[in-house]
Amino acid sequence: MIDFVQNTLDGLAIGSAYGLLALGFTLIFGVMRRLNMAFGPSILVGIFAGAWLHSHWSAGMIPVFLATLAGAVIASAYVERLSFAAIRGDAALASMASSFALWMQLEEAVARVFPQRTYAFPTFEGLPMLELGPLFLRPEYLVMFLTAAALVAGLQVILTRTLFGLHLRTLSDNREAARVSGVNVAQVALLTFLLAAAIGGVAGFLIAATDGQISTKLGMWATMKGLIAMVIGGLGSMRGALIGGLALGVVEAQAQWYLGASGREITTFALLFVALILLPVGLAGGAETGARAEAGRRL
Amino acid sequence: MDGYTISVLSNIGLFAFLAISAWILLIAGEISFGQQAYFAIGAYSGGIATAVWQWPFAAGVVIAVALGAAVGALVAWPTMRLSGLHYAIATLAFAELTRASLNVFTYRRDIEGFATGPDGANGFGDIRWVYEAGIEPGAYLAIIAGCLGAVIGLVALMSYGRGMARLRIVGEDPILAAMQGLSVTRTKIAAASLAGGIAALGGALYAHLATYIEPAQFSVMTGVHALAYGLIGGLGTVLGPILGVLIDIGLLESLRVFAGYRMIVFGGLVVLVLIVRPRGLLDEPTMRRVQAWLRR
Amino acid sequence: MLEIRDIKTTYGKIAALKGVSLDIREGGLTCLLGPNGAGKTTLIWTISGILKAQSGSMKLAGEELAGLKPHQIVEKGVVTVPENRLVFPEMTVKDNLIVGAFSRRKAKGGVEEDLESVLDRFPRLRERANQEAGTLSGGEQQMLAVGRALMARPKILLMDEPSTGLAPIIVEEIFEIIGKLRDEGRTIFLVEQNANLALDYADHFYLLEQGHVTFGGQPGEVDHDELIARAYLGARKAS
Ligand SMILES: Nc1ncnc2c1ncn2[C@@H]1O[C@H](COP(=O)(O)OP(=O)(O)OP(=O)(O)O)[C@@H](O)[C@H]1O
Ligand SMILES: [Mg+2]
Repeated sequence: MIDFVQNTLDGLAIGSAYGLLALGFTLIFGVMRRLNMAFGPSILVGIFAGAWLHSHWSAGMIPVFLATLAGAVIASAYVERLSFAAIRGDAALASMASSFALWMQLEEAVARVFPQRTYAFPTFEGLPMLELGPLFLRPEYLVMFLTAAALVAGLQVILTRTLFGLHLRTLSDNREAARVSGVNVAQVALLTFLLAAAIGGVAGFLIAATDGQISTKLGMWATMKGLIAMVIGGLGSMRGALIGGLALGVVEAQAQWYLGASGREITTFALLFVALILLPVGLAGGAETGARAEAGRRL
Repeated sequence: MDGYTISVLSNIGLFAFLAISAWILLIAGEISFGQQAYFAIGAYSGGIATAVWQWPFAAGVVIAVALGAAVGALVAWPTMRLSGLHYAIATLAFAELTRASLNVFTYRRDIEGFATGPDGANGFGDIRWVYEAGIEPGAYLAIIAGCLGAVIGLVALMSYGRGMARLRIVGEDPILAAMQGLSVTRTKIAAASLAGGIAALGGALYAHLATYIEPAQFSVMTGVHALAYGLIGGLGTVLGPILGVLIDIGLLESLRVFAGYRMIVFGGLVVLVLIVRPRGLLDEPTMRRVQAWLRR
Repeated sequence: MLEIRDIKTTYGKIAALKGVSLDIREGGLTCLLGPNGAGKTTLIWTISGILKAQSGSMKLAGEELAGLKPHQIVEKGVVTVPENRLVFPEMTVKDNLIVGAFSRRKAKGGVEEDLESVLDRFPRLRERANQEAGTLSGGEQQMLAVGRALMARPKILLMDEPSTGLAPIIVEEIFEIIGKLRDEGRTIFLVEQNANLALDYADHFYLLEQGHVTFGGQPGEVDHDELIARAYLGARKAS
């Protein structure tokens, strides 16, 4: 029982990072109605920028964090320009394929510059292990969880209280209506993209700082986790992205503990498959509104 | 032809099966990230049939195709009502489930004093039927080309009849297609089954050329590549996905200067192509023009 | 010819049709009028099998249609010209028409002849036969959708608001086509908001309001102006 609770706790922490990745995906999908396969690899660029700063200049946590964010945002801007802004509005498949091509490109570029298999990433040193009765909580996990919560709260404020948030919401509800109501669609889309990249960058930083080492596999890993968490939670809803991330984290942590690595893979994907069939609207439920459902259907 | 050319051409041919498989589903309006699962199913079942059960090669290929088609239909049945992104992720989940299961799948028999058969993550070696039968690489390339030709012929036959048009209209607008009297479910299941069979055929051929296969070869990366080939080569004709494979493997293998930067160059090329031609090089309008020109 | 009895259809918890009964008579134009959101499209989609009725029956010459799949219903000869999603935009006009004949299991032959007769009927489509359907004007797309439905050799033609979004002069043209089809003795079920125009052509009409049929009769039988005005009051868009 203690094990189960402990796993749940760990799973929720990792899950909050998944949730952030899914949130980035959701923002982009909501506004673009297209899938950004290069989301994870953009984050990868950021993480390696951070690692570079760390190893060459032995930079501290804060510069590394900023470098990670900057790298992710710049790489994302590159993806947005080439795979989204430059491609005709109704060609969702083309954007998907194009962002996949950029994924390959970014990943190989990183691999050329960083030829070793793994690199060190700075960790949160000196933070004490937290004890809650019989339970333990790694301090990194607490940081992860709190950062995710703060980010979600901040995002909520942006979305509901600012003009940019209003524009973003109109855009993700009905692109055409937003356009004719005078929203600068191209600009809001780019900003949303960059906002998503920044959120992804934070998630990437937290994950890398928890593990202490990074490899080029992280790009694919981040795209997959974010995509899966978004879909489990229900397309296009913030709450759904978060719930999906947390659920994925907990399931993985439990399966890892009770069944081992290969058991975890089998269980996670079997559950994902069954969940999609039984719960096609996602965990956050709720009927999708017309335009959004149609976009999900047609992609 | 020298050995190197033969091996490059064989690789192109084998990937073409996977690319055509993903392309068929794209035409039917579904994105599959998981066709590599059927490639794996074909490779493993074909390999088991010849290496473990000692069946003849042709029987191994037949069983692989049959299994691929059957599993394709079986998976399509519950996932059919999902759509778009949900379907894509369901296929991804199924493929990863297949790969993860193969990681723990062990089935070894004593063949002439050696333990032979899949051994989980260690893979499955000694699929030697083709070598023991003394088939030269050139002859095997001819077999691959023959099978690919048969697949292309089948699709051509479907285009001549109504099969391809059915897939296309179900893909474009399932509700309007249903209003034209088409069974959307049946069409989609048929498409998935066909796609599964074609990928499995490629897998079986691949296993016998490589002689060694392992679960890690059938990762998401393989499947996403297969999907991208059709989108780059063009959705207008079955030659589109083949062109995609040709560009990726062929062009870049022949231009060795790009070695090491292959993905950077290929990726850039793809991005440019898609900006100019969102539905790939051989897209529908192009194919209509070609057809009109041929008819003259 | 088609007897609809007590059909109930819901979207989740929202009841859109709350027990609809009406008859579509053979060889005539039956018209269904009603304001926005009355449930007209829902009824069409229910008859064509895209939506499942919760209860009720739909009998085509005595044969039950409720519970059949959309393609089976088309095979029985009930063919729909939908609202808004009219054509397969990436296919040529000619291919769109040929698609209409896909359901003809038994009478596979004669597709070429039917194609010719549809193109004769709509000369504008003939001119654009090899053009992508998505490039046609709204009125032309409507004609194409009607032509495609005719390719199925329908026993009953269901048409959902063929006048939506078209200029008045094009609407006149579409209605002339519908009138001609009626004069040829075809059975047509027409859903419309444009009450005045529709009633000029209808043999019989029903009024649908908030999921209920509130009136059924023949044009001229009663003073329907008042009836319709009441039904549409405040609910009708400028047309
Ligand atoms: N997908 C849906 N989910 C939930 N409710 C729906 C859905 N589609 C339609 N409705 C509701 O069902 C009712 C009937 O809609 P329907 O489209 O049948 O009206 P209509 O008579 O065709 O209107 P119009 O003249 O505007 O085309 C409306 O109240 C509408 O809000
Ligand atoms: Mg309507």
